Amino acid sequence: MGCVTDNDSEYMVEAKELVKRSVKFSAVDHLDLRVKKGEIYGLLGPNGAGKTTTIKMLCGLLKITSGEAHITGKHVPDKRIASDIGYMPQETALYPGLTVHQNIKFFGEIFGLGKREIEEREQRLLDFINLAEWKDELVGNLSGGMKHRVSLACSLVHEPTLLLLDEPTVGVDPELRASFWDYFNEIKGRGRTIVITTHYMDEASRCDRIGFMRNGNLIAEGTVEELLELAETDGLEEAFMKFAEKVDRGAEL
Amino acid sequence: MKRIRFITVTKRVFQDLRNDKRTLALIIIAPLFAMFIFGLAFSGEVKNVRVLVVNQDHGVHKALSVSDKIISNLDRAVLDVKQSGDEGAALKQVKDGDAFAAIIFSADFTRSVMSGTQGSSTGENATVKVLLDKSNINVANAITKTINDALLKTMDSVGKKPPVSIDAVAVFGKNAKFMDFFVPGIMAFVVYLITTLLTLISFVSERTSGTLQRMLSTTLTERDIVLGYAVTFSIVGMAQALLLLVVAILVFHITIVGNVLLAFVAIALLAVVSQAVGILLSSTAKREAQAIQVLPFVILPAFLLAGIFWPVEAIPSWLRPLSYIVPPTYTVDACRAVMLKGYGIGKIWIDFVALLAMAAFFLTMAVWFMKVRKD
Repeated sequence: MGCVTDNDSEYMVEAKELVKRSVKFSAVDHLDLRVKKGEIYGLLGPNGAGKTTTIKMLCGLLKITSGEAHITGKHVPDKRIASDIGYMPQETALYPGLTVHQNIKFFGEIFGLGKREIEEREQRLLDFINLAEWKDELVGNLSGGMKHRVSLACSLVHEPTLLLLDEPTVGVDPELRASFWDYFNEIKGRGRTIVITTHYMDEASRCDRIGFMRNGNLIAEGTVEELLELAETDGLEEAFMKFAEKVDRGAEL
Repeated sequence: MKRIRFITVTKRVFQDLRNDKRTLALIIIAPLFAMFIFGLAFSGEVKNVRVLVVNQDHGVHKALSVSDKIISNLDRAVLDVKQSGDEGAALKQVKDGDAFAAIIFSADFTRSVMSGTQGSSTGENATVKVLLDKSNINVANAITKTINDALLKTMDSVGKKPPVSIDAVAVFGKNAKFMDFFVPGIMAFVVYLITTLLTLISFVSERTSGTLQRMLSTTLTERDIVLGYAVTFSIVGMAQALLLLVVAILVFHITIVGNVLLAFVAIALLAVVSQAVGILLSSTAKREAQAIQVLPFVILPAFLLAGIFWPVEAIPSWLRPLSYIVPPTYTVDACRAVMLKGYGIGKIWIDFVALLAMAAFFLTMAVWFMKVRKD
């Protein structure tokens, strides 16, 4: 279950000068992003900062306007990266008319996994997310929190080395959020890399490194301790504001 | 106060409508669309139907030929009359689908009419023989009626009422009942409608629920997804056709002359086209509710222009090009030709070519539209 990649770089994700421009504005504006292998990297920022756009470009769901990105050393977009990536969209992204089992099976079969293999992994995943007894329930009948867990399982079934989680904890109650972070740490413990977007500042403290994102770019990056020290505060929210102010002042000069 | 409360609701709903240009457009365009299409399609009588005339009548005293008069009295708005040398050639043309009927006047037609007129009621009956393609009932009826009108008009001018009868010989569709004609049409219509609807709705929910994004983040490509849908729905379409056929045979006792397998291929191709249309339309909708708004544009043209309930020949000729861009038209035509006339692939290949071309076009467009959305 180790992290096996064919490149020697210490980075799982490397993006340089990444730009996503739509007709009206640049959602992502010359973003440099490096995510080390085996870390949990948190992209933190308000709505509209460009977090989702960044994730979608890395998954090949949106075209990169300019700049470039590499995942496991391969140039994005490249369908060969697809099996290395486990993408969990903001939306539940499950088929409500299928059972938990059928959903997991579908996303496993896409990657050409055999029947036995899927069944084994499914069993492990269901134990992992504590939904073993709900295996044959229609997803449409599950509670919101349960759906979130199934969604995570569907992103894990092909055992990706990189997890791209787009606001996986939005609308999730505190208890489940806590257990989600237990999941993430366990996944990390198996040598996987996780990129997670969130606008909950309290969640950021659980990441190995954080990137503060605003207006399509990073305004600060580092471990929680580093960022707090740099901003000379003891709260991440305050730190974010200070960095934002600093950027705005810089822009005025 | 109650009045004020409901007015606030009214205002809010209007506000909603004003903000939603799509719904606004639908409110305006859809009724007009329906009215025009219904109005135009219904106003059309059967027109310009190709009919052959084989006139072997010698007439009497050279000067008088009743058959010539009848022919000149045929309503040229309805019938596109062409002369033909002999009965055999004419029959072949009807069989090949080049003409809907052959009207045959025998050598002694005028003499029989005159003797019938002069003589008593025991005089010999003059007969107009009509070799008729009855597989399209509306057209067949229009032809018979037009000949009858011409007969009556001619006889009025000649003199009394002669016992002239029409001997209609069914080339196709012997004992054809309305259901025989209707089933191939409704098969195509149902498959087109349901397939388009299902893909439209399920694809919109793929988009809104995020499953499409999740699929595209995997090794699946846009083409995989479109083809996956295409295969599913061609199978569903054939199953629907099978169900309809079985019920039609058991309940309505319809008769099928030709090779039903060909009809199934036409249905499957239509299903492929329809699901691609559904996927294309889904990219115009952001929510399930919006998907419903495009339905009139899916249903009405097929309902009215594809020759399902009345023949394409009954649609005004300037409107007919529209019929030929509505996908079910080709399936209706192919299924009817196979099931009622027993035509083989040699005679309906053009329908298959049209369906294949449409499938290729709409599948490509569906994939292309999905890719464009990445920008």
